[in-house]
Amino acid sequence: MSSTCILVAGDTRVADLITLAAGTTTTAVVVGPREVADAIATAGVDAVVWLGEPPAGTPVEAYAQAAAAVVAERAPQLVLAAARPADRVLAGAVVAATGAPVFTLVSAVSVGEATVELTRAVFGGIAQETDTVTGSAVVVVDGGPRVEATSAPVPVTVVAAEPLTGVSVVEDRPALRAAVDLTRASRIVSAGRGVRSQGDLAMVDALAAALGAESACSRPLAEGLGWYSHDRYVGVTGQHVHPDLYVAVGVSGQLQHTVGARKAGTIVVINADKSCPYFAEADYCVVGDLYALVPALTQALS
Amino acid sequence: MRIAVAYKWAPNAQDATVAGDGSVDWGRAKASVSEYDQVAIEVGRRLADSTGAELVGITVGGADAASPIARKTALSRGLDRLVVATDESMVGASAGRTSRALAALVQEIGDLDLVLTGDSSQDLGAQLVPGVLAAVLGRPVVTNVTAVTGTPGDLIVHRVQEAGAQTLRVTGPVVLAVAGDAAEPRVPGMKDILAAGKKPTQVVEVPALAPEPVTVVATAPPEMKARKRLVLDGSDPAAAAAELVAALRADQLV
Repeated sequence: MSSTCILVAGDTRVADLITLAAGTTTTAVVVGPREVADAIATAGVDAVVWLGEPPAGTPVEAYAQAAAAVVAERAPQLVLAAARPADRVLAGAVVAATGAPVFTLVSAVSVGEATVELTRAVFGGIAQETDTVTGSAVVVVDGGPRVEATSAPVPVTVVAAEPLTGVSVVEDRPALRAAVDLTRASRIVSAGRGVRSQGDLAMVDALAAALGAESACSRPLAEGLGWYSHDRYVGVTGQHVHPDLYVAVGVSGQLQHTVGARKAGTIVVINADKSCPYFAEADYCVVGDLYALVPALTQALS
Repeated sequence: MRIAVAYKWAPNAQDATVAGDGSVDWGRAKASVSEYDQVAIEVGRRLADSTGAELVGITVGGADAASPIARKTALSRGLDRLVVATDESMVGASAGRTSRALAALVQEIGDLDLVLTGDSSQDLGAQLVPGVLAAVLGRPVVTNVTAVTGTPGDLIVHRVQEAGAQTLRVTGPVVLAVAGDAAEPRVPGMKDILAAGKKPTQVVEVPALAPEPVTVVATAPPEMKARKRLVLDGSDPAAAAAELVAALRADQLV
């Protein structure tokens, strides 16, 4: 049977990776605290390799090259990693160690005898490509939710590894609120540059509250303006979401953004510009001033 | 003391057009210094100014990456000199091959405890080069970096993580991938552009790299859901809101 290694960078939000690897012999290569390895061991994988308890102040990425060495030794056909920063660093180290090609925005994978076939969005999502890879492939995709215990634990093999030195955490400042997981939200209201000031977000948030939706934004509002935290921007390099309802308020529809919400069930776009590109990808195109429409919509909902 | 910034001379995927068969036409997409790499250059310039380090731009690509316009555009953003590795096989190269070629440049230039990169390229947008590059070089990497102080070899680095933030101390060689909002890239003035013409560029060969065993078997336009594209006139906001809410109720979405 063909084999898969799943890279776990101290975060158990890899349920979709385990699903994706179904039908292959799966080994999770886990860096980070022991409890992460223990949780993964009950989640439906065939084996767990854990690289040992990281000393205080050691970022999980310091184990990337050690994890890659474990993967390289096993020479799996498929290597899976979640599309998160630390997980990407682990995937990168596997690419460096094995020479295997790496793919992002992958929508389908099938592992054959000596090849891996995969379909993926290319160039940030403007087109799609199906590739055949001879040998092994590294695939970076949405990790999905936290794993749940589905089986008796498989044994955790400890391969005590030396992390790279040179980077140590001096101060950790967790956010004052819990991290939001937009990928699980069933409704999302997303603000774009059409919102003129940070104070006006209250109006957009009121609409989100009326809809029972999570608030999100396009990239410039999180990076640059800093009106939202980084985990709230939807886009090709941000969150990839699939709510039942996605309401884009003052978002023009640059590809960078729309790719992140393409899997939404229904898309409502509110924009003053009749020719805004996002209308081409919307179910309901509301043409008009968001400053009048958003409060009207909030009122109509309550 | 020396700092390198790895940047990409690439067209923006936003400007490419895609045919019905999924083939991508880059004809109308003009190449530029990739958007987020401009941020890395700005961060590098400020750090170089505060430490007296030399700021070297490194890039890998096709012949156009070493064209006069490409050199001038990159140098006018504050780099002191460029080392450009060109080969037609590097046009549209994967993260793996690009990183290996960049790593060879870092090793060849030497004395580079600090290599800066952007968050992602504007053509591929994969966010993978920093991790591969660091691993090929055998050094750690920190991504989503919002601020850097200190001197190469002993740095204090701030980064964002999901909803939180972290401060790290970095001693020794490192690759830092800066966040898109780590700095506001400068708009080069006439003086910068004129000065860029006098700065040196070294064009080198790309080391022999094994091709990746990937065959494209099909291309297609992006998979898109069929959308209703119903237009609602918002000139009467209350009426438009009522109409939209009624439609969403009919769809059982609210």
